[in-house]
Amino acid sequence: MQLNLQRLAALMQKETIQILRDRRFIFLFLGLTFVQLFVYSYSASRTVYHMPLAVVDQSRDPTSAAFVRALVNSQYFNVKVYLSDESQAKDAIDKSEVKAALVIPPDFAASVDQGSANFLMLLDGSDQFAVQSGYSAVGLVAQDFGLQMSDQNLALGGGMSSTNSSLPITTSSQILYNPDMNDKWFVIPGIIGMILQTLAVEQAAIFLVRDREWGTMEQILATPVRQLELILSKLIPLSVLCLLTFGTSVALGIFWFGVPFHGNLFLYFWLALLFLASCLGLGLVISTRATTQFEAEASAMIFMLFGLLLTGLFYPRTGMPLLPQLIGDIAPLTYFLRISRDIYMKGVGLDFVWGDAVILALYTLIVIFISSKRFKMRLD
Amino acid sequence: MLRRTWAIAQKEFIQLTRLPLVMIGMTVGVALELVLFAVAVHNNVNHIPMVVADQSRTEASASYLNAFTDSANFDIVALVPDQTAVVRAIDSGQASVGLVIPADFATRVEQKDAHVLIVADGSDSFDAQSAYGSAASISQAYAVSLTNQQLSPLNAHIQILYNPDLVDLWFIVPGFGAFLLFGISLKLTAFAIVREREAGTIEALLVTPIRPIELMLGKMIPNLGVAIFNLILTFAFGILLFGVPFRGNLLLFSVLATIFATGSLGLGLAISSFAQSQVQANQLASLMNIAVMFVSGFMFPVYGLPILLRAFGYTMPMTFFLPIVNGIITKGVGLGDLWGPVLSLTALTVVLFYVGARLFRQNLD
Repeated sequence: MQLNLQRLAALMQKETIQILRDRRFIFLFLGLTFVQLFVYSYSASRTVYHMPLAVVDQSRDPTSAAFVRALVNSQYFNVKVYLSDESQAKDAIDKSEVKAALVIPPDFAASVDQGSANFLMLLDGSDQFAVQSGYSAVGLVAQDFGLQMSDQNLALGGGMSSTNSSLPITTSSQILYNPDMNDKWFVIPGIIGMILQTLAVEQAAIFLVRDREWGTMEQILATPVRQLELILSKLIPLSVLCLLTFGTSVALGIFWFGVPFHGNLFLYFWLALLFLASCLGLGLVISTRATTQFEAEASAMIFMLFGLLLTGLFYPRTGMPLLPQLIGDIAPLTYFLRISRDIYMKGVGLDFVWGDAVILALYTLIVIFISSKRFKMRLD
Repeated sequence: MLRRTWAIAQKEFIQLTRLPLVMIGMTVGVALELVLFAVAVHNNVNHIPMVVADQSRTEASASYLNAFTDSANFDIVALVPDQTAVVRAIDSGQASVGLVIPADFATRVEQKDAHVLIVADGSDSFDAQSAYGSAASISQAYAVSLTNQQLSPLNAHIQILYNPDLVDLWFIVPGFGAFLLFGISLKLTAFAIVREREAGTIEALLVTPIRPIELMLGKMIPNLGVAIFNLILTFAFGILLFGVPFRGNLLLFSVLATIFATGSLGLGLAISSFAQSQVQANQLASLMNIAVMFVSGFMFPVYGLPILLRAFGYTMPMTFFLPIVNGIITKGVGLGDLWGPVLSLTALTVVLFYVGARLFRQNLD
């Protein structure tokens, strides 16, 4: 198949004019893309701070007050109400007034001194986020508080040195790449990929179906335009738009959200281009199946949901059953997500991400092969 | 008026049944979606790949490592010589967490002064948090067991109400059912009206004596029917298949779910007046649907949201329905405990419907 550059240029000009003329499209395309980036980035965090807490303090002594203060100081809890017994606390959780309730028994201070104090923490198990954050926070605070108390007691007794009171094994920890566990740092490199996938797959599918639906395919058929020229004339302006959006998203990630970019920007750009090609190819395959823009759009949207739930963007793929994992493999985002996070945060080079890069390249070849078999520049 | 509304409803219903594939997709497809995503989506990770640099190679270190493998939280995927190699294994994505046991581990344990290092992959998002947390607690539990004594004078008894074993599916299925119902309701109305506009038949309807309100209601009624059918199918499927306990009042739940579906249909009506074509309607509806996942408390907690996003969340029926779903299904509470979200949901439904109807009328003129 021969490619006539002059014809291609003319067709691309037509497509560009069509794109720029459609204000609503430009609004949906660019405006909503960035709205998405902001909405997702600002909301994607699972840790719950300042969750409302009910306190049932039956002890009412300085030790119990100190323990409540320690919980509040951890930033995870805010005391919302003081109640008198456990059943009231359960009621408060039933009513969703509070997410957690602390019950301190009457003899708290004395039993802390004896080294055998107990307290009860009730957590709202219908709220998974409150449970997860609350559970680990309570454990940590109690441990710290307990160690402090026993150190104090020992110091008062004067018997042993304080190092003996700590555990025989001390664990220090090092969290690589993201020492403060800032949620935005690992969410944004993924969201940028998801936005690019959504745009590219959806718009490629719609662009290619459009002429068929509008009936303008007939006119195009009457010209000497070849199939490849037709496809390229649509995909090239679209790619430019996608890359502009992508570049802006990356810039926003770095400068607005302050996500450090550790890798090689040049390499990242080339791999993003490969990812874009695989997405456009996927859109092309969808367009060969769809007869209307609506069908094309609806099928492409399914990939957005897959992208959110099955690619590892927000939910871990480790431990996911095989079938959802395989379905997630259909979305090119699964591979680019790893590349994006690795280059962005770990700052590794091609020697580390080559596996996913090869898969993306193969993926692109396969979708182009399938669509070249199926794409027919015909009316029916 | 009733007769005319009914006539439109009949027409709509016939049009709906003419698209059997769409109907199947919107009912059975949605139920299957629930199953697929419910089994896929989980937050706690087991069998996290772990790389170990055991420079001690003693019985003490071996038994310490056993504590990790016994927990089923970790799989040791590689043994490497030193910390650099551990970091390298994490760089390459071979492992998410690493453990460095120094050469003098055994002797230092006897002196009660051993140090180990846990290295976690901070780029691997939610995996890492889970991995790091459990590694630290396993290590600590092992250390405590060595001392053969009760170390802490303070024992935390943590009781998790409603879902004591933290079954992931119990968290996910009720919310997911609500989410899918929201998406379908939103799209049904948006399409019903935009389709008419796209086909040009809305002009034909306008010259008949049918009033806009009748047209609107006539379009809503069959859609509400589909939404309710969908609701029953999805929740019955999810609850029976996954054994999620339904603790509350089924009747109360059905009534509130119908209000929720109505509010979502009203939102769809509003979308229909912005969208010129079915493609645009679907785009707007899908984006709204996905944005709702983020701001309603379904995927992420609402407490941490910035004020603007929280405000946006309050315009979505899902934000108020979610506490209702969790309250009735998981907690088993009644109207007495839920009146807050119930009132908000009802008020929002009325507002959405009013706004939707106004926009719809303006659009007809």
